Amino acid sequence: MWIELGHFAAILAFLLCITQSGVTLLGIYRSQPVWVRIGKQASMVAFLLLTLAVGTVVAAFLTHDFSVRYVAEHASLELPVFYLATALWGGHEGSLLFWAWLLALFNAIAIWRHWSSHTRSLPWILVILGAMLAGFLVLILFLSSPFDRLIPPPGNGRDLNPMLQDPGMVFHPPFLYMGYVGFAIPYAFAMAALITGQAGDEWILATRRWTLFAWVTLTIGIVFGAYWAYYVLGWGGYWAWDPVENASFMPWLTATAFLHSVMVQERRGLFKTWNLFLIITTFALSLLGTFLVRSGVLSSVHAFASDPSRGVYILVFMSILLLFSFGVLVLRAELLRNPIQLESLLSKESAFLFNNLLLVTAALTVLLGTLYPLAVETLSATKVSVGPPYYNKVFIPIMLGILLLMGIGPLISWRRALPARLKRDFPIPVGLALVGVLLAVLLDISHPYGVVTVALMLFVVGSHSLDLWRGVQARASMAFWHALRALLARNKRRYGGLMVHLGIVMMCGGFIGSGLFQQELDLTLAPGDSVQLGRWTVTLERMGEAAKYNWTAVEATFRAQNGQSSVIMKAQKRNYGKRSQPITEAAIHTTWREDLYIVLGDPVKENLWNFRIYRNPLVAWLWWGAAMMVCGVIFAMLQGRRSASFTSSPSPDGVQP
Amino acid sequence: MKSIWQTVLLLGVLAILALFALGLRNDPHEIPSPLVNRPAPDFAVQALDGQPIRLADQRGKWVLVNFWGSWCVSCVAEHPYLLDLARATRARSDFVIIGVDFKDTEQGAAQFLARHGNPGYRHAFDPAQKIAIDWGVYGAPESYLVDPSGMIRVKQTGPLYPGWFEKVALPLMEAKP
Repeated sequence: MWIELGHFAAILAFLLCITQSGVTLLGIYRSQPVWVRIGKQASMVAFLLLTLAVGTVVAAFLTHDFSVRYVAEHASLELPVFYLATALWGGHEGSLLFWAWLLALFNAIAIWRHWSSHTRSLPWILVILGAMLAGFLVLILFLSSPFDRLIPPPGNGRDLNPMLQDPGMVFHPPFLYMGYVGFAIPYAFAMAALITGQAGDEWILATRRWTLFAWVTLTIGIVFGAYWAYYVLGWGGYWAWDPVENASFMPWLTATAFLHSVMVQERRGLFKTWNLFLIITTFALSLLGTFLVRSGVLSSVHAFASDPSRGVYILVFMSILLLFSFGVLVLRAELLRNPIQLESLLSKESAFLFNNLLLVTAALTVLLGTLYPLAVETLSATKVSVGPPYYNKVFIPIMLGILLLMGIGPLISWRRALPARLKRDFPIPVGLALVGVLLAVLLDISHPYGVVTVALMLFVVGSHSLDLWRGVQARASMAFWHALRALLARNKRRYGGLMVHLGIVMMCGGFIGSGLFQQELDLTLAPGDSVQLGRWTVTLERMGEAAKYNWTAVEATFRAQNGQSSVIMKAQKRNYGKRSQPITEAAIHTTWREDLYIVLGDPVKENLWNFRIYRNPLVAWLWWGAAMMVCGVIFAMLQGRRSASFTSSPSPDGVQP
Repeated sequence: MKSIWQTVLLLGVLAILALFALGLRNDPHEIPSPLVNRPAPDFAVQALDGQPIRLADQRGKWVLVNFWGSWCVSCVAEHPYLLDLARATRARSDFVIIGVDFKDTEQGAAQFLARHGNPGYRHAFDPAQKIAIDWGVYGAPESYLVDPSGMIRVKQTGPLYPGWFEKVALPLMEAKP
């Protein structure tokens, strides 16, 4: 009964989305503000109805209503309640519904927040978002409905894939989706700006927080995914260049480029077409990610059920959207011809330009690596896979270039850098970079990329600290801490950004440590056996069993000793019964220096087991660096819009009539 | 200059979409076997029934070689169809089924057949996976259709499904003059 109500609500929401799009469009052409207002109300009601629809699916999970097919396939009586509630996004149908609900939510918030301030572009935003939501609802209602009944209902469900019964499941997908869907709002603003011809700065100012929000949630989503892979998949790594990982990484790269180039438009009125291109591409890549994941063209660890008709529909939907967006961009780009030119190669703008070129090239290399196997398979019916060797070869040098620019950025001024200032500011960071080379040699880093990375890390830290120091110095009349606080409070955006950079530097440390210095032991142990790895003595104390919630496990208990300190570590192989593939739970002991990481393998014979033991140096730096990035973005988001528009005033053609 | 970029952009988008359109027709789970249209690697081992079994002895017939193991979950799902297929084709003189039970123990296999039903055809026993490695078996179940001249004609990755024989095997068998 309830699920039918949800189904009905979703159908109504679909009709309202068509109304939102169609009536608003008519209203625009006939200059009927009333019709536009109807579209606005429709979008609000559609959001409420979709909330009801999502609510009924969640309720079906919570009440173990196995007569709902989706619930029967993704839950069971034994499933703990926190996974029951989040099993909504444990499968294809529910994920799409959640996606659509987020889009409706963001749509409603955007309409509510910007209704009075953006009267010309909002109708178009209603049209675009309404059409997009309607497109998703077609997919949900007709091709992958989470509302279907299963008659007769089974006594118990098939359970959630054990791999997904993990706290990572609670956070990774929603953050990723928030990131993907979040870019829909800046995208819609950009399209509206192109269509109405008001492609100045207005849309960028309006969407600054949206973009930051989408970027930070996407970042969190990606990092959670990496973290989850690290402690669940049990191969000692966190990133495998899997197509689906790449699909989330590509929009991240172009969005990062966008965040930077937007500043150039605000300050100098340059890169207008480029910014539109970047945001459209970012959203297109988000959709591409959805397509790759949901249509089943590529196989990956995320392989979901592939269904050809869904794939065809998603492809048609995406084709319309891409051709429409890029078509409009190409047709309207003439509007944006720009009288302002770069003044000097030695300027902040050109540093941003190169940063953008590198980031977009990086995104392109990932796109090529992701699509190449598909192309080969399609054209020649052989299988190839593109793995870490390709990405290490092409991707790392690009990233090092970006790191270099990151260090140069704060030291170089807008328009034209003054040689005198450069001479004054550069010696310290460059000196630190040289110290970095020495440090790398001392640390026994022999890989050239490793040496360069350490040098660049110190270079960035040097230039960023210097920037902060100069800012404090400029307020020489105040005491140091006062000056620092005043400085940070006035420039939240700038220093938030610099904090993100330092987070990235920290992550680079993690990449080097885990990438170049990982040690791995592959061995068989019987209880009582000891093994030495780095500074750790690891002893298998006993083999036993464990059980909790809905699983039973074989459990290996280790004692890891290092000098005085000693810890107990428990590696498990869990069995979830219904879907009998066992799940490894690696035992991980984290210190700031390294992670000790133990994976229980198969038994060799009575009382003799296979183990893989890793020493993963500096992995914790990845998570701390990511946390720092998130803090930086939140700090930057605190800055209100007023001061942002103040900085944009130099561009005379900001708002066209 | 600008129009070149516009063209490149649109062509790039079109190329990617075209690639997806073509790619949708592929099944990503299908792994092409280099053995298709090559002679099937012969094997002569002990069967589960204790007697010797040799693939080449079946020359002149179509042979369905089905790789399975009692440890394999999908094989349980596939098993009812194999029971049906064996029953339906028992009368045919031009078609036999041979199972290859690999990476398994004799008790395991016997238990599996006792529990899920014995289709009645013979099974080569391959505990050390020698045959499976020769044939490049990637997972279980996998099935190969070998023609009367001993060539592999079809590889099925994953379980055989109801209607497979009529849809895949029969057209090939009847196309033969």
